[in-house]
Amino acid sequence: MGNRIYLVGLCIGLWVSACRSSEPIAPGAEPVRLSIPENFPPPLPDDDNPLTRQGIELGRRLFYDTRLSANNKVACATCHQQALAFSDGVALSAAGVSGTALLRHAPALLHLAWAGNGLFWDGGSTNLESQAFAPLTAHDEMGQDLYLLEEKLRADPYYPEQFRSAFGQEIASGLVVKALAQFQRTLISANSRYDRYVRNEPGGWMTASERQGLALVRQKCQGCHAGALFTDNLFHNNGLDSAFENRAHDQVYLGRYRISYREEDLGAYRTPTLRNVMLTAPYMHDGRFGTMAEVLDHYDKQVKHSPSLDRLLSTPGNRPGIRLTADEKKYITAFLHTLTDEAFVKEESFGRPPGP
Amino acid sequence: MNTVMKQIFFPLLAAAFVLSGCKNDEVKADRLPGQLNLSFDARVNDADFALNTDFRIGSATYRFDRLRYWVSNVALVDDEGQEYRVPGSYYLIEETSPVPVQDGAFVYPAKKREEVSIQQLPAGTYRKIKFSIGVDPKYNDNLSLQAGELSQLNGMTNISWMWHTSYIFTSVGGTLTEATAGKKISAETGLNTNYRSVEFDLPDPLSISSGNTGASVAFRLDVAKILEGLDLNATPTIGAGQAAAMSQLAGNYTRAISLVNGK
Repeated sequence: MGNRIYLVGLCIGLWVSACRSSEPIAPGAEPVRLSIPENFPPPLPDDDNPLTRQGIELGRRLFYDTRLSANNKVACATCHQQALAFSDGVALSAAGVSGTALLRHAPALLHLAWAGNGLFWDGGSTNLESQAFAPLTAHDEMGQDLYLLEEKLRADPYYPEQFRSAFGQEIASGLVVKALAQFQRTLISANSRYDRYVRNEPGGWMTASERQGLALVRQKCQGCHAGALFTDNLFHNNGLDSAFENRAHDQVYLGRYRISYREEDLGAYRTPTLRNVMLTAPYMHDGRFGTMAEVLDHYDKQVKHSPSLDRLLSTPGNRPGIRLTADEKKYITAFLHTLTDEAFVKEESFGRPPGP
Repeated sequence: MNTVMKQIFFPLLAAAFVLSGCKNDEVKADRLPGQLNLSFDARVNDADFALNTDFRIGSATYRFDRLRYWVSNVALVDDEGQEYRVPGSYYLIEETSPVPVQDGAFVYPAKKREEVSIQQLPAGTYRKIKFSIGVDPKYNDNLSLQAGELSQLNGMTNISWMWHTSYIFTSVGGTLTEATAGKKISAETGLNTNYRSVEFDLPDPLSISSGNTGASVAFRLDVAKILEGLDLNATPTIGAGQAAAMSQLAGNYTRAISLVNGK
């Protein structure tokens, strides 16, 4: 009798999985649900790459493994360092295998489980999985031959078994990027002092200046840095340049235009989150501003007009930008510090895994 | 029911459940599957297509070094109007010189492949065949999903295309001599908007049964028709930045493919 119930259960399980459009979880792999803080929106569904304990663990190991690069010296973590909210602290890194400067700034990695409007500064990559192929293979990043990558991983004592337990399959480059994406989707920062403040938790205090800063951000910045995630995940030309004529390097200097070919997207780049922003200098898609003071001065005084300038920044009849007094800049900066999440940058499960 | 019967009956029930899970892919229990061969013969007008050979098309002379395209999502419609979709049907049809992959980090070897063998096709009488040129949005939007011959390793992705998250759907290139000698040309399609489908009524009903491995459908792809209406002398590279030309090119593939016979 016990057998029968088990088998009927199995039938239904198999039937359901045969017709579901999402990818099945490998037998034995343990499904993981992200724990979402109450002040956050629900994350995107992960049907194409369901999170499992084994997949996340594999992704974490791969993220820190320098063998993912051609010279075995560059890991994802080289340019995405936990202490800096998974950014790298330099404008245009030359840490890639070619030793030459990148064309864009390495973004901070957090809240990728909500990044549903494309990855990269121009949103060209449709999802986190596909995105990973670019840094893995680009000559100035990891420059890794994907055939060779599979060979390197197969020769390792840990990986073959871990790929089987995470995906029920042998090592393949498609699974490498899936595992990396699983780990990255766990990078959630929700324990800043601001979070404890909005959730009325212990330690959730804010000074008067910080509260004024919060009010200013909600009033003047949330056109783009919206909601609990402090980003609208959209693309804006925020007036860094007045002309977009350099079409070199596959039009990398043209912003989202390179992907959409729409004039209004010239010079438009993805809105980065303000969370942990005091850890992620320098700023902008090319890291041109070294400090938050420079960023605020830009919005106050240096926004450049162009036909594609975001209308949120244009003030008809006046100089474009967001007028800010010295005091307002001080308050905003004070508030931005409350978005720094010490627990996030010290969280052990996000760090370099123990072992070889 | 005795124990032995239970041991046999329930796994069978389980198998039946699994097989019936997706209605359109149903295998009729009394008919065993058979094989179907597809061929795609590349031509330039009436001549056989070949690499590194001069072809006169219109007022220009072309010398090709590659012709590559995805044939995907093959489906057959039987005499009852039931559609059978061939699972994992992503086939790279090609005649190519070596392809540098990842900025030349490694090389995909020279290759000619014009035939596809579909196994496990449910027995039946089929009257129509459908397929697409390119990769459907589900797989094109997520390069980590593996099906059929889709891979990052065969030179049908590259850094430029990865910026857009798209496979290269079709690629033809070489040199063009018109006003100037030996101008490099490269005409590619990709992006979801350029995914195209075709369907053909089979002139004679195609009978598939087990043990019969000779069933085949032959197509012809005319490269002259692929290039129709495009000015590669003025625009020698067709890529994501040439949206109108790319759309024209994608449409041209559907008109360049014709059914020769099915037997």
